[in-house]
Amino acid sequence: MNSNAPSRVELLQGTLDLLILRTLMAGPNHGHAIAKHIQRTSEDLLQVETGSLYPALHRLEAKGWIGASWKVSDKGKRARYYRLTALGRKQLASGQSWWQAFSRAMGLILNPGDQEGQ
Amino acid sequence: MTSFFRKLQWLMRRQGREAELQEELQFHLDEEAGERQAEGLATEEARRAARRELGNVALVQEDTRAAWTWTFWEQLVQDMRYGLRTIAANKTFSAMAILSLALGIGANTAIFSFMDSILLRALPVPDPRSLAILSWHTPRPEMHGSNRHDEDYDDPHGGYIGGIFSYPAFELLRKNDAIFSTVFGYQGAGSLNVAFRGQAELASTEYVSGDYFRGLGTPPAAGRLIAPDDDRTSAQATAVVSYALSQRRFGGPENAPGQSILINNLPFTVIGVTPPEFFGADPDTHPDIYVPMHANLLLQSREYSAATYLDPNYDFVVPMARLRPGVTAMQAQAALAGPFSEWARTADAKRRPEDVRTLVVREGAGGLDGLRRTYSKPLYTLLTLVGLILSLACANIANLLLARAATRKREIALRLSLGAGRLRIIRQLLTESVLLAVLGGALGVAFAIWGIRFLTLLLANGREHFTLRAELNWHVLAVVVGLSLVTGVLFGLAPALQSTRLDFMPALKESRTGDARGHGFRRFGLSRVLMVSQIAVTLLILVAAGLFLRTLSNLESIQLGFNRENVLTFQLNARQAGHNDPEIVAFYDDLRTQFSAIPGVRAASLSNHALIGMGTSGTMIGVAGAEPKSGSILTIGASFFTTMQIPMRLGREIDERDRLGSPMVAVVNEEFVRISLADRNPLGQRLELWHGCPKCDIEIVGVSANSLYGKLKGTPPPTVYLPFAQGGWPLQQMVYELRTAGNPLRYIPAVREIIRRADDRVPLSEVKTQSAWIDQTINQEIVFARLCTAFAILALAIASVGLYGTMSYTVARRTGEIGIRMALGAQRGRVVWMILREVFVLAAVGLAISLPATVVASRVVESFLFRMKPTDPLALAGSVVTLVSAALLAGYLPARSASRIDPMVAIRDE
Repeated sequence: MNSNAPSRVELLQGTLDLLILRTLMAGPNHGHAIAKHIQRTSEDLLQVETGSLYPALHRLEAKGWIGASWKVSDKGKRARYYRLTALGRKQLASGQSWWQAFSRAMGLILNPGDQEGQ
Repeated sequence: MTSFFRKLQWLMRRQGREAELQEELQFHLDEEAGERQAEGLATEEARRAARRELGNVALVQEDTRAAWTWTFWEQLVQDMRYGLRTIAANKTFSAMAILSLALGIGANTAIFSFMDSILLRALPVPDPRSLAILSWHTPRPEMHGSNRHDEDYDDPHGGYIGGIFSYPAFELLRKNDAIFSTVFGYQGAGSLNVAFRGQAELASTEYVSGDYFRGLGTPPAAGRLIAPDDDRTSAQATAVVSYALSQRRFGGPENAPGQSILINNLPFTVIGVTPPEFFGADPDTHPDIYVPMHANLLLQSREYSAATYLDPNYDFVVPMARLRPGVTAMQAQAALAGPFSEWARTADAKRRPEDVRTLVVREGAGGLDGLRRTYSKPLYTLLTLVGLILSLACANIANLLLARAATRKREIALRLSLGAGRLRIIRQLLTESVLLAVLGGALGVAFAIWGIRFLTLLLANGREHFTLRAELNWHVLAVVVGLSLVTGVLFGLAPALQSTRLDFMPALKESRTGDARGHGFRRFGLSRVLMVSQIAVTLLILVAAGLFLRTLSNLESIQLGFNRENVLTFQLNARQAGHNDPEIVAFYDDLRTQFSAIPGVRAASLSNHALIGMGTSGTMIGVAGAEPKSGSILTIGASFFTTMQIPMRLGREIDERDRLGSPMVAVVNEEFVRISLADRNPLGQRLELWHGCPKCDIEIVGVSANSLYGKLKGTPPPTVYLPFAQGGWPLQQMVYELRTAGNPLRYIPAVREIIRRADDRVPLSEVKTQSAWIDQTINQEIVFARLCTAFAILALAIASVGLYGTMSYTVARRTGEIGIRMALGAQRGRVVWMILREVFVLAAVGLAISLPATVVASRVVESFLFRMKPTDPLALAGSVVTLVSAALLAGYLPARSASRIDPMVAIRDE
């Protein structure tokens, strides 16, 4: 890690949906755990605002990309668990390939030397 | 779509979902707190930290909920609820706004539905777009022959257009298989005597070619329609009747085929019925009977013979055609113009080359366009006027909304400062104004239904066979809805923009009562612009009303030359019912004697035309030795001049002595004497007629004063009055004139009874007073004068209300200022004058803008005016005076209330 690298990165518009879908690939989970997972997996670079997490979850549910049901959590409390639907899986696949194309394009422009070096 | 249902599900279980959302967020908080505790924070501390991290719980809930709702529609419903509340809260304002809009929209809808039915609608036949109208063009007016459809008219691009062709020309057009799939023709036969089981009535009849119904693509409602085989000289006499006639006379279309009827006393067999919506190819007529073209050889054997059908110079067929798929009217014209001109050259060798007719092919989806030509300009003029009235109503409401927005300034400023988006507030204000407009539109439809009825009555003006029908249809309703929405946005937008543009800090700080003194003029710039334009537009409408009223009064003061009051007229056609020479003369004359004997009838006579409104007869007339000159002919019965009260200048009038076999005589009018006889003594001079009776020797026995004959707007033509009984002129229908004591219409039952006893096969038609005849010829002017007067009153009322509202509002806002002025010694009169001066300035500016514009615009209606110029000073001055007095009156009331302000109260209020 570079010394002047930022300790936190703002989420890009629209990427939260993709992150939620990817997180749910691992299996159903509740909102809080989804947020923590994103945070941890990104090495704390990405911080998910609760104020945007729940609207995003419900928006995805309304679109039918994820489903929700109440289950008892490992700590014995009722929690709302979200899972990926078939439609969500399809969206994730297309989102992933879009993101890869996008980040490759960004990389090509921002680090012209790197590509040849590798 | 599935997303839609998920949202719907969510909405249905809204309560439960809200609780679940609460629980979900609570779970999140607990988890977060638990995690913080695990990091070493105290329980309370951890909970607070979790809370902080989550932020505004209500906001999160709101945002999450938004994922499930249709925000746009929810806000719309919200805005509409709010709008309805505001409308209900300001009853006077709302009622006025809705009423003036309803009047404006209603008037527009009524006029538009007439335009729709006259100008825009296509014929009710399959594929009307492929129909084409065929006509010819010449540089000079000319017409030989007769047809009641499509009078010839001046081509606006120069020259002259006619739609009636000779039969050989019609045959020529029919040969073009590659361009037309069918060419069919028709000829109006007018009203014929149709009798079924001894009951006679006059029915509008049409001669149609064998291809007519096939060409129009009309299916029969019963039986079969006329086919090419029916349209031959040798064919059996057949007829097709309209749906309406089949119901009226046969008790339904299914009973009609096979029935025998008498048309002009000749037997015809009914073979079929047309569909209910069908009215032929001319929207101006609604024929009841269709007979094959060649039936004119039977029904009008005097005018038509086998030779007529071969004469290339006798026009009587109106042709129409159906274009083959893919062929346009333009292409058809290009292909046919050459061959047609070639034919026209050889058909009449005497014609000068430059006078040869050229063929014109036009699109004919709407059928014959005579009706459109007559009504399009008046309708566009009326539509402009009602459009202006609607704009007045819009300006008025915009002005009132502006005034109201100013009072709501604090509310709006408060909402803006609390973070409401400007667009959101504009949207809300617009919803409110559109709501007003839609309510106005709904009420407007009711006004329109009433308006259409009223307008139909006005246009028909008592005519028997009035064919113009307008109704509301989806077409018209779509325009109303569009109009309401557009007007709503139009009058709502400016106030909405202005009231949300303000810098809200000063507005919040402002006191509730007085403000913005000193720069009131600038602040109300928009409202003043609206007032000035209202005054300008109102003047335009007032001037239009003034011009049409003056035209009407000019028309009503025309010197007729006879006394129009208390004369009952009606028409009889004994010839059509089977009466023949010489008995028919006795029949007509005997009826005259009986009518004169009705108690209360002072005098009775008859003539072949009513004096005004029915057309004229005429021919070249020579006075022995001199060159013949064109003159009018009226055939009359005994005591015609006494009955019509036309004074005799010399000699005697036509009386009972002048019967068949006695020496032929005539009365001429002074105009005839002036033109043809100069200073010679007219009595005893001999007349020669070119037509009617070319060999007759007719002696002038009297000279009458001049009287109008034919057109109301003309001058008395040189006229020769011949006794109808002497055979000097063809004898067909006769119009009886009864001079009565009191209301002429009271004598109708007695007249009917006499005719029934004489011969009930002869139907009575055109039963009306002589005044009604005259009024019908100036119907358009009467309608215009009445409608425009109504429009002018409406416009004046709307503008006055607007002016009153704005001035009252200005006074209310300037209470403090006026109070100070009065405390400092201003007299009440001075305060009144101060307010009135403002009204006066507004009116003056409006007039200054409007007068030149009005003078220019009024040229458009010049052709509707009679014996006056569009710059008629009386109409202009009258309008200006009316407008200024109305404005001052509307301004005086607020001015008076301003002068009654108590200075102490006003100042203490500050």
